[in-house]
Amino acid sequence: MRYPRRIGRLSVPSRKAQLAAAAMLVATTMAACGGGGEDDGATSSAPKAPATIPELTKDPLTLSFIWFDWPPAHALEDFANAEYTKERSNVTIKVKTVPNANWHDAMFTQFAARKTDFDIPILDSQHIGEAVTNGNILDITDFVKKNIDVKAYNPYLLAAYGQYPQAETGKRDENASLYGLPLLGDTWTMIYRKDLIGDKPPQTWDEMISVAEKCQADNPGVSGLAFHQANGSDAAAVTYNTVNGVYGGNLWDAKSRKIDGVVNDAAGQEAMDVLVNKMKPLTAKGSGNWFIDEVNAAVAQGKACIAFNWIAASGGLLDPKQSTLGTTREQILDKLGFAPLPSQKTNLVPLGGMGMHISAYSPQANQAEALNFMKWFEQADIQKKWAAAGGVPARTDALESPEFLNAGPFNKVYADSVSRMRDMWNVPEYARLIDIENTNVNAALNGAKKPKDALDDIAKEQQAVLDSGNRKGGGGL
Amino acid sequence: MSESAPLTIDQPGQVASATPPAPGRSRRLSDRWLAGAFISPALLLLLAMSVFPLLWALYLSFTDYSATRGGPAHFVWFENYTAILTSAQVHLRALTTLIYVVGAVALQTTLGFSIAYLISRRTHGRGVLTTLFLVPMMLSPVVVGLFWRFMLDAQFGVINSMLGSLGLGQVEWLTRQGTALLSLIVVDTWQWTPFIMLIALAGLTAVPKYLYEAASIDRASEWFRFRTITLPLVWPLLLIAVLFRAIEAFRLFDLVYILTSGGPGVSTETLSFHVYKVAFLGFNTGTASAYGILMVLIVLVLTQLYLRYLNKLKED
Repeated sequence: MRYPRRIGRLSVPSRKAQLAAAAMLVATTMAACGGGGEDDGATSSAPKAPATIPELTKDPLTLSFIWFDWPPAHALEDFANAEYTKERSNVTIKVKTVPNANWHDAMFTQFAARKTDFDIPILDSQHIGEAVTNGNILDITDFVKKNIDVKAYNPYLLAAYGQYPQAETGKRDENASLYGLPLLGDTWTMIYRKDLIGDKPPQTWDEMISVAEKCQADNPGVSGLAFHQANGSDAAAVTYNTVNGVYGGNLWDAKSRKIDGVVNDAAGQEAMDVLVNKMKPLTAKGSGNWFIDEVNAAVAQGKACIAFNWIAASGGLLDPKQSTLGTTREQILDKLGFAPLPSQKTNLVPLGGMGMHISAYSPQANQAEALNFMKWFEQADIQKKWAAAGGVPARTDALESPEFLNAGPFNKVYADSVSRMRDMWNVPEYARLIDIENTNVNAALNGAKKPKDALDDIAKEQQAVLDSGNRKGGGGL
Repeated sequence: MSESAPLTIDQPGQVASATPPAPGRSRRLSDRWLAGAFISPALLLLLAMSVFPLLWALYLSFTDYSATRGGPAHFVWFENYTAILTSAQVHLRALTTLIYVVGAVALQTTLGFSIAYLISRRTHGRGVLTTLFLVPMMLSPVVVGLFWRFMLDAQFGVINSMLGSLGLGQVEWLTRQGTALLSLIVVDTWQWTPFIMLIALAGLTAVPKYLYEAASIDRASEWFRFRTITLPLVWPLLLIAVLFRAIEAFRLFDLVYILTSGGPGVSTETLSFHVYKVAFLGFNTGTASAYGILMVLIVLVLTQLYLRYLNKLKED
């Protein structure tokens, strides 16, 4: 008789007990939340790295990078393990890779947890503002002053991968703080079929479109153009930004933080019209979700007359195993040409590439090793070796070296494009700004929005994001 | 030496209650204490992994907290909720989600029940057929998304290749507004129709045979037997399957992420995908928490209404 009654009490606790348990849980949660808030308030800006490199450990140490999965990431790991270990035999370099679409999230969710399993995050130039404002990476201004020969660089390259607040296009503010150093330079190259359009690449954007149009008409099954249109990462947005720059448009007025009325001015509208109504009809059907790999696949399979892609991702085009254009590298190069982007009203090209930064949450021994790695990596001879290993260096002497210029047919394109580069915004709101632009340009390219509506929506929504600093509640919608 | 407890039981209830504690067992180690000790690890895990985060999310939903920006969380009370409920962006995603849920679940229910009905009428090979139909359900949604992405590729995909061999034109499955959501519904249906089929098959197998025999004696038509015997008896079970599928479809994320990334534009962005963007692109943790809580509330309310209807159906 006693046993069944006990079962009943155990399975259905009294209402008072239920209420007490719920109250305890709520109280525990509130207490935990309150504590968390105070702790988090401790870091609000980037902590400073020492000017001189602290004593390095002699114990075995793994220096971890985080990047997205593409050939330069693997090249970096191989290069650093082969070369850096000659100087520091107790160190192993590990480059952790994530899919491109998860790159930002993979780094910033760990930053949010105030604990990272990487020491050197390789940030896109536009991520710097978010990381600096949140205190996620070290301020290396003093370290750079004491250890890096800044005069060896094009000032804008040094600024683009490390300076915050953002530099004016083409310049560097020597009084601004630096939070990173260049790891890999990059820009778009025009890839064209010499056997279909001739050896001389088109010089203007309008000429490029008409050449692509004729090539498509003359060669059934081959599309005139191939370029990034996907709505993930920054794919479609970089395409629009490139055309916007070439047609004399601006993305924003950085001083007044004004986007509405700037990006959608007459030049911006013309750029969107050219992109959607003149360039899109020359692309392959269903190419509205193409990014780096898909564009490369179209070129390698001989399905595009003219294509645009990042230089650092173009190495595979010369691999006969991945191409139908020839059985040797020479045969492929007989058909493929690489040239800087055509100009129109301006000669601007998109700035790509990334810098090295140091996680504020990395152990001190690893931070010291990271500083040492940076100093080692930015030396002239190492930059030339990096160029020969497939990297794109940032030092002017390395860019002009035969090691770099002879390493790939597209390397001269990069060297010729350095003075023409323009970047996007590197403000803390970057991730939202790029998503707004990506989704709207992708919608326009795929017929889900009229080009003018898409551009006006970009301007309106991006302006709202920049203006939402003092908004209470509902941020991010 | 104490006597050991009897192993045989004449009257289970009586003997269990009369059995003295095992020898050597502390008097304090009562059955009640033991029961508590056994369930406490699972209970603690549940509290730590589910209840506590839910309550924390509830707290954050009333604040402007951002996980990356740090700093103390300031109470904004219901402003996150008001902003979400009045946002045109959210309304657009809610409509997309509704179309998706209704389309996918209706298609899966129709197909799942039809397949189950056909299988239940077979006497040979029923087990093999059922197993084969279940294969898609056992795959990871990410894997399913990836291979369907290749199959639906407008240039190189096998679907367009088949359409081409039939003399039909290329279809831009994943990059046009009209076809992208349809593609998501088709892929989800391919994967989850077996779930409905399995539950419907269990219901069909449980229908007493004598009812069909009696109907046969009365020379009832096939349609009459289906309408008056099969469907009414299987219906309650089918509705439970529909409930599970609707909840799953409501929180769809993985297929959207892999197949369309929400595109073209935002035309296939579901509520879950939008919450992800709010939470991880801008790290607006407070808003994302309120968004998540509202989604949980919607599912809870709709489930309650649905269960009441099911209970009423049973009583009738």
